[in-house]
Amino acid sequence: MQKTFSNSSNDSTKAEFSPEEDKFSHVRTSSRRWIIAHLLSGPNKLIVVIIFMGTILSSLLGSGFMVLIGVAIDEFSAGDSTNLVFYTLLFFIFAVGSPLLSLLTSLTRENLAQRIERDTRHEFYVSLLGKSQSFHESQRIGDIMARATNDVRMLNFMVSPGLSLLFEAIMRLLIPILFVAIFYPLDLLVTPIIFVILFVFTLRGYTRQLDPVANKLRGEFGAMNAVLNETLSGIEVVKGSTTEEYELNRYFTNAKGYRDAFVEQGRIMAKYIPLLLIGLAITAALGHGIILYIDEKLTLGAIISYVGLISNLRFPTFISIWVFALIQLAISGADRLLDIMTKESEIDENLEGVEKKIDGKVVFENVSFSYPGSDKNVLDKINLIVAPGQTVAIVGTTGSGKTTVTKFLSRLYDPNEGRILIDDIDVRDWKLESLRSQISYIEQDTFLFSDKISENISFGRTSEIGEIQRVAREAQADEFIEQLPEKYESEVGERGVQLSGGQRQRIAIARAFLTDPRILVLDDSTSAIDSDTEDKIQKAMRRILYGRTTFLITHRLSQIRWADLILVMRKGQIIAKGSHENLLKTSEEYRKIFVKRFNLDEKTLLEEVK
Amino acid sequence: MGFGIGLGAEEYDRSYKDRDLVRRVLAYFSPYRKPLLIVTAFLFAQSLVNALIPVLSREAILQLEVAEDVDQQRMYIILLIVITLILNTLGWIFNYYRQTLSAIVIGDAVLDLRKDVNISVLNHDMSFYDKYPTGKIVSRINTDSRDFGQTANQLSQTASSILLVGIMFAVMLAINVELTLVVLLLVPFIFIIALSFRKAARRLTLIGQRALAVVNAFVQESFTGIQIAKTFRQESKLFGKFKTVNEQSYEANLKRAYLLNFIFPALSTIQGIALALLVVVGGTATLNNNLRAADFYLFLQALQLFFFPLFTIASFWPSFQSGLSAAERIFALIDTPPAVKQNNNILANKVRGEIIFNDLGFAYIEGKDVLDKGKPSKGKKDANKEVKVFDGFMLKIQPGESLAIVGHTGAGKSSLAKLLARFYEFQSGDILVDGVSIRDYDLKEYRKHIGIIHQVPFLWGDTLANNVRYGRTDANSDDVRWALEQAGGVDWVDDLPQGLETNIRERGSLLSMGQRQLVALARVLLEDPSILVLDEATASVDPFTETRIQEALEKTIKGRTSIIIAHRLWTVRHVDRIVVLDHGKIVEEGNHDQLIGMNGVYAQLYNTYFRHQSLEYIEKAVELS
Repeated sequence: MQKTFSNSSNDSTKAEFSPEEDKFSHVRTSSRRWIIAHLLSGPNKLIVVIIFMGTILSSLLGSGFMVLIGVAIDEFSAGDSTNLVFYTLLFFIFAVGSPLLSLLTSLTRENLAQRIERDTRHEFYVSLLGKSQSFHESQRIGDIMARATNDVRMLNFMVSPGLSLLFEAIMRLLIPILFVAIFYPLDLLVTPIIFVILFVFTLRGYTRQLDPVANKLRGEFGAMNAVLNETLSGIEVVKGSTTEEYELNRYFTNAKGYRDAFVEQGRIMAKYIPLLLIGLAITAALGHGIILYIDEKLTLGAIISYVGLISNLRFPTFISIWVFALIQLAISGADRLLDIMTKESEIDENLEGVEKKIDGKVVFENVSFSYPGSDKNVLDKINLIVAPGQTVAIVGTTGSGKTTVTKFLSRLYDPNEGRILIDDIDVRDWKLESLRSQISYIEQDTFLFSDKISENISFGRTSEIGEIQRVAREAQADEFIEQLPEKYESEVGERGVQLSGGQRQRIAIARAFLTDPRILVLDDSTSAIDSDTEDKIQKAMRRILYGRTTFLITHRLSQIRWADLILVMRKGQIIAKGSHENLLKTSEEYRKIFVKRFNLDEKTLLEEVK
Repeated sequence: MGFGIGLGAEEYDRSYKDRDLVRRVLAYFSPYRKPLLIVTAFLFAQSLVNALIPVLSREAILQLEVAEDVDQQRMYIILLIVITLILNTLGWIFNYYRQTLSAIVIGDAVLDLRKDVNISVLNHDMSFYDKYPTGKIVSRINTDSRDFGQTANQLSQTASSILLVGIMFAVMLAINVELTLVVLLLVPFIFIIALSFRKAARRLTLIGQRALAVVNAFVQESFTGIQIAKTFRQESKLFGKFKTVNEQSYEANLKRAYLLNFIFPALSTIQGIALALLVVVGGTATLNNNLRAADFYLFLQALQLFFFPLFTIASFWPSFQSGLSAAERIFALIDTPPAVKQNNNILANKVRGEIIFNDLGFAYIEGKDVLDKGKPSKGKKDANKEVKVFDGFMLKIQPGESLAIVGHTGAGKSSLAKLLARFYEFQSGDILVDGVSIRDYDLKEYRKHIGIIHQVPFLWGDTLANNVRYGRTDANSDDVRWALEQAGGVDWVDDLPQGLETNIRERGSLLSMGQRQLVALARVLLEDPSILVLDEATASVDPFTETRIQEALEKTIKGRTSIIIAHRLWTVRHVDRIVVLDHGKIVEEGNHDQLIGMNGVYAQLYNTYFRHQSLEYIEKAVELS
């Protein structure tokens, strides 16, 4: 196990989260290879063989049945009734046996199809969980949804009915030709062989034509899903701005794009050349047969059955339209999945990294950062030393980089330049799990999962309700939770109770009390809390800071005054740092905050300091 | 495990009679009646040609034998080849038009349906969105409509199959009447078997579709909250849940697939038995010289061609079920009436901004988790729990007045704003704007006059400029700059990689919370609304931004009716009137000075608040440590 992990961390699929062995990392270079690897992995290999055998056997049984009927009729018409009972028995065995076989085959096939859908979705989801935060911010969730549900489903359709139709097509192509080779003069093979060569050749052209359309079809579906998801997520803004029509048009444009791709796909499927070729082949076979008849090399009956055999090639020719469309769509779907899966996660789990209790010393060395695809630095040469247990307040205008600075601690982002040290160890050398489990964030806008309140607080850390109640009390959340219909068992989120911003924040504080992190980041955290609970909250806050390194993004003087160090940021740089008194004297930027905010004039402030 | 989690019906789901469903499905295809007929005709012609080619060539070849001389023989040969060539080419052409046309019909009908359902969804009020996960709605609109499109193929295939069956039936009758009657006896069994799958097919398909919708919703939530999951190392918990949801979809869809795969083998068994019977019966007849062997052989060939379209017809109804169940899910969504009613279409060209809340009564209906949590009995009890917010609420706001509403969480501040914007429907009393009930206004026209800033701004994954001009697409980049300037300055915009044209990523994640709020404000200001509602607009922003917004607002609220919902009392000192709300009732009213003078709830709130900001409190806070 361990060995596999270290192997996989050497290639491109580094991940933040890898709960299980990744069997398919080496085949993600091409969608075809990946699909085949899935078809042949573990018991699937056996199932594919079963489908193959089953398809052959049941088509043999089907034609065997007809041969048997012919033999029986010949005997009957010759007035021979000795085998009547025997034939009757045999017919009934065939009548039940052949469908039974095809039932077994198709059930096995369905099993494989559904399993492939489940397993590839599983693989895709795990891969997504392992991606970095900056990756997720660059993705449209609606598109991710489309990939996880609909593109994955394309692989299902490829197996069922695609795979068995493919086998059947191959069989039905080969068997008549084999019969021709056995029972007829060899020169009659010319037509079917030329046909097969041309068939394979034009089929390649067909799939090449389908390829871009299949890609477009899947891409348009993703875009359509993304737009719809975004519209519905922001529905309050849509209504407030009365832009329903605009949103409808946006959706319609995408849905129309999908429709156009769909029609285009239909057109290519309609233009399928092999279907014309088979007509020519049948005509040619007829001509050839007649020539041989005139030379008296062939009887009339032989011509009829020869042409009949060549006509049988119509079925595999026709069915290939669908088989290859299904395969092409599956390849496009797989491309879209692999496209996400192979995008390198910038941050990896680093399972062999340092794992120990954090003391709390934090050092920033020349840290610069810019978003991918942009050369503007969001942060520029940040240098900072924080002693264990210190409280650092960060102040600055909006967009100055306050929040971004804190995201490097738990490696939500990695800097482009410079490094961050925790306890004198580069964060990249820590084991990610160890690092993140000791760093907590209390965000400005707390996201709650659709789950029980107790689960949203504990996140599975403890199931003991007493413990959850204790931390809720410490976070002053106990009071409002008790008033909910089902108290701690109330569902929140999309389908449950709607909590106010302040209430959500108190849930987040409770979470932090439970995790007892060594480093805490409080992002503007009390701004949305009601005035009347503020006293209590302030005390709770004060308590939670105690004994850990804390970064406070705040403008509350009361909180700033708890800080051992204050950073003033502007445009991604630290323009001043020091104590409150110090900064009031030395930093004009810092003074401005309080002048504007409290209508204090600068003199009073300065006097206050003295 | 069974279908425990999340596979129940949504509250708006309903079951339709099959007849009604079919009628409505057909209604979607009725604009394409003509192309569909053509498709059917082509399909029929194509199958006919394919069946004709062997028969014709057989006949022609037999003619060769009786040909009188070499010339006649040669003529037959040429004729034969020409006919085969023509027929084959015709077959190809029929196929070409059929495929092209049916792709267009399906594409267009699905597009129509998607548009209709989207319109209906956009018309729902916020209580609908509070209740139903967007992931599931998205799945309904986009994924289920695809299944619906397949019904067109099924319809045309069935229609052409009926024609084929009729022809083959005639052929068989011509060959031998007795044998045909034997075959006829078996036909009812085929239909009985096929139809017996119908109910189970519908139910399992529905469950399969729901299971996929659950996966969709789960994926959506996972990656909306991914940052929290990461910082708290919750990946394995999400992963565990995903496995459950994915496994559930796997099982549901496997069951469905298993069932549907029984139909054809079951039908083939009947076919096999029929053939066996016929051979025995016919064989005996041949033995007794009642039947010519050649005729018998031909009959068996015809029988093969008879069965295939017959299966298509028989299995039409079961396989049509997946289309119907998709249609049922979609129509349920379309048919849910929006709770916000509009009684009249009064166009509000210009609004002065007088607002009267008259004897207003409003309660949230907490219709949560009706069946969706696997404990239906308990869920149902809670289904219609009412949370009363207002009862006989009265308030009058003058045109151009700035009014602040303060009070504790749950006092009903935000509800008031949401009712005014018609996001929710009130149950009794009335809200009048310029003396007209807001229910009588044309909803969209009316909303144009109201600008709302929410506590947490929602931005689109688009360029900054497009976000600002969201409500007014005609605005140019100068207008956008102007609006941003009005909202508190554009200096920060130039620091972005591409300025106004920077793509600010999913939900605006490239911007800080404060910047997002500035954009939201600019967006509203560009619309120039007569009534401005700020719903704790500065609660999530830093004081710099708050100050900026505050200064901007002092200018912009002039000439508009403004409702400012705030808990930071510092921001409301300058408004004309302050209303203190408690449990849906007004407990105090007046301007800042008056309310302070009253020394009541407001004064208390204010003092608590201000104390926190006072230097004295700060010193105390330091001592707390």
